[in-house]
Amino acid sequence: MGASSGPRLSGMQKQVLGLYREFLRAARSKSAEDRRKIESFVSAEFRRNSKQVDRKNFIYIEYLLRVGKKQLAQLQSPDTVRLSSLDISVSETINHKP
Amino acid sequence: MATVSATSATFGVSLKPCFKNNQVTGGASTLKMVTAGWTKNVFPSLRNTRFIVCSAAKPETVQKVCEIVKKQLALSDEIELTPESKFAALGADSLDTVEIVMGLEEEFGISVEEESSQNITTVQEAADLIEKLVHKKA
Repeated sequence: MGASSGPRLSGMQKQVLGLYREFLRAARSKSAEDRRKIESFVSAEFRRNSKQVDRKNFIYIEYLLRVGKKQLAQLQSPDTVRLSSLDISVSETINHKP
Repeated sequence: MATVSATSATFGVSLKPCFKNNQVTGGASTLKMVTAGWTKNVFPSLRNTRFIVCSAAKPETVQKVCEIVKKQLALSDEIELTPESKFAALGADSLDTVEIVMGLEEEFGISVEEESSQNITTVQEAADLIEKLVHKKA
């Protein structure tokens, strides 16, 4: 019963969730159309990594956090309207039609 | 009146002796004492929890929170949400919870601190926090 104050989160989990929050916050300042795209992209990225990355792989998660923070800083600039990724695992899912 | 005093007498026995003494004096005062005893002694836990649930957040707020949670988690309309519904039990992970809180922030025009946002696990907790923040803002 005492655990009703929420799930126990590790420091790293909190950092990741905090970063996700900041991304969603930054997306609010964009136009509705851009915002929708950014949100779905950011959400997909976080979810993909949450499934693919081993939760004990701290070094890699640290790295992803650093990359994420840089991307966030770019997104927070008013000139940025879109995020994209050249990640292999993303392009794999796209079926190129002839 | 007879039945009332009869029932109050049985309650009175189970209560403290000081209530018993007053019981003998008269119909009206007996009734009063027993109702007082009820709220204080007989069902303390029940009374208290009811009270918190009722007074903490308005039904409209709870209702709105339910709607947002449903939308955010893409739940079908058949699923009934109660204030006690846990986000995790509805299939939400921690990322979903962040999204829910962000959605609530926009809907209610508030800003939830990171620390408290990660502690929200049920509709009721969300509604309580919103009421608190809306009050603070006003």
